[in-house]
Amino acid sequence: MRVLTKTSLYYLLVSLVVFAVGGTVFYLSLREEIYDEVDDQLFTDKENIIAYIQKHDRLPNVTSGISEAIHVREADPENLVMEHLSDTLIYSTYDEEDIPFRKLTFTVYRQGKPYEYTIFKSLMDFDDLTESTVLAMIWIFILLLVGLVFVNYYTNKYTWRHFYDTLARIKEYRLSHHQPLMLKESSTTEFEELNQVLQSMTGKIHSDFLNLKEFTENVSHEIQTPLAIVSSKVELFMQSENLTEEQAQMLSDMYGALNRLARLNKSLILLTRIENREFTVEEQVPLHRLLQEQLTHLQEIISMRGLELEVEEMEEVYVQMNSGLTDVLLQNLLNNAIKHNHAGGSIKVLLNRQKLCIRNTGEAPQDQPERLFGRFRTGDDAVGSLGIGLALVKKICDLYGLLPKYNFKDGEHSLCIYFTK
Amino acid sequence: MKVLVIEDEIALKDSIVAYLKQEGYTCDAATDYPSALLKTASHTYACVVVDLTLPGGNGLNIVRSLKENNADTGIIIISAKNALDDKITGLEVGADDYLTKPFHLSELNARLKSVLRRRNFNGQKVLRVGEVEVQPDAAEASVAGKQLTLTRKEYELLLYFVSNRNRVLTKESIAEYLWGDHIEMLDSLDFVYTHIKNLRRKIVEAGGQDYIQTVYGLGYKFMSP
Repeated sequence: MRVLTKTSLYYLLVSLVVFAVGGTVFYLSLREEIYDEVDDQLFTDKENIIAYIQKHDRLPNVTSGISEAIHVREADPENLVMEHLSDTLIYSTYDEEDIPFRKLTFTVYRQGKPYEYTIFKSLMDFDDLTESTVLAMIWIFILLLVGLVFVNYYTNKYTWRHFYDTLARIKEYRLSHHQPLMLKESSTTEFEELNQVLQSMTGKIHSDFLNLKEFTENVSHEIQTPLAIVSSKVELFMQSENLTEEQAQMLSDMYGALNRLARLNKSLILLTRIENREFTVEEQVPLHRLLQEQLTHLQEIISMRGLELEVEEMEEVYVQMNSGLTDVLLQNLLNNAIKHNHAGGSIKVLLNRQKLCIRNTGEAPQDQPERLFGRFRTGDDAVGSLGIGLALVKKICDLYGLLPKYNFKDGEHSLCIYFTK
Repeated sequence: MKVLVIEDEIALKDSIVAYLKQEGYTCDAATDYPSALLKTASHTYACVVVDLTLPGGNGLNIVRSLKENNADTGIIIISAKNALDDKITGLEVGADDYLTKPFHLSELNARLKSVLRRRNFNGQKVLRVGEVEVQPDAAEASVAGKQLTLTRKEYELLLYFVSNRNRVLTKESIAEYLWGDHIEMLDSLDFVYTHIKNLRRKIVEAGGQDYIQTVYGLGYKFMSP
């Protein structure tokens, strides 16, 4: 949830509580006040009646005073109500509804005889008042809320704009682009601090990244020459006439290991170069033709392995890529399909405008599918496998915005490259 | 036949020179840019093997000057830069071949021979070892005048053997020569063995001797009688 939505929601919640409590308190105090007033009027009537009786020694013939109605009857001496205030409802034929009344019941004596008086005072006005008060409250609440949320939203948006700017820039930031992270200055202390921390942090990460990259590059390149020297010396050594079988075996092992190291190093250099975006030359590469070439080239190995190759679909597809890298990509995909297969298995190739799919039979992967794209990950312990092939595939896909997807189903690995971005 | 090796790593230069001398070439060597330039200017070589990164200059300039002044000289670039586009640049400037370090000396030798053959320096259109004849132009081979029916890989294998006769060829170098970068997935080098077995059989069936020897665990050797 965005910070703006969140604060607005909190405002809403708090205002709701404040208005609910405030409204209740307001209502109660209003009611208290009105009851007081009504009761005062009732008592005034009572005083008047008592005064009239004392003065004239007869019951007043008017049945109304300030109040709406005054009832009088001879009281039951057994059951005298000296003074009692209560609420009651009286049905009004005019309004066709019960109308709330406040009533005061009291007893007066005239010539020793008790009379029970009941004075009614309508609370209709009071009800109307409550109603309009609540209505007013609701309106004020809505207006205030809208205003509050509106003001809050825009002030927040204004103060947070640097934050969102920073966020957008960080999202765009790529270490490999070698562009320093430039953030807008902010007058808000917290955001300015955040920007400074981010800038120094990315700067540090970038310089570390460069150091590491340089190191990898240097190591890979510097290793080439010593490797070439050792390899050539071993090869010369092998030409010696009087080697014992044991020595020959040792030389052979050395040579094998050297070759492995050399291939690994070549792949690492290639990987680094792709990361460095050194392959700038791009052209419309005829993918179908390159794929066909690779398949022809591999046909022998495929049949020697006892595998069956099936081309399901081969459309003409042109992609904007570096042709060398396209070769590397196809080579690694096909190598992978051959390597992680079993005798009598199959390889299915599908190429159309949407995707390139290579499916092959093989053992279920032991690793998490997404981790197969990492370096030095091998699905099984295939001998001589460097586990760098899929990392290369991933890097090349990243470079050209292609989407590689791996799937394993019914004993079949499927690796698809989607061209749509 | 004179070959110039331009390589700043002395140990590697020595290896190349030693291997090529055994092949019967007259070898000259230079270890930096100025001396290399001097040598190419004052002598005529059949082929120059040149490293691109040299102290004092870029090997590509040597290639360019050779192309201008001694257009007949074959040029093979050896470089530590494993670059798809460096390779293209090198070949565009006029190099005949390009090898990435580290490489097999036997492979350099085979490529050198191929360059020399194409440049027609020795006037030799046919490679002959004993009764075996290989005609690289026609991609054909025969034993005692009898045509051999070889698959493409078998033919390449024979050419590699004949170019490096009397040399121990490792299974790794053969595999790399035949399959290039796809070698990584040849988890055992049994494929090499299969091809050699077939080639041997075909030569013997055509009436030739068994030229291919197995050398301990090292590899194979094509023996000239």
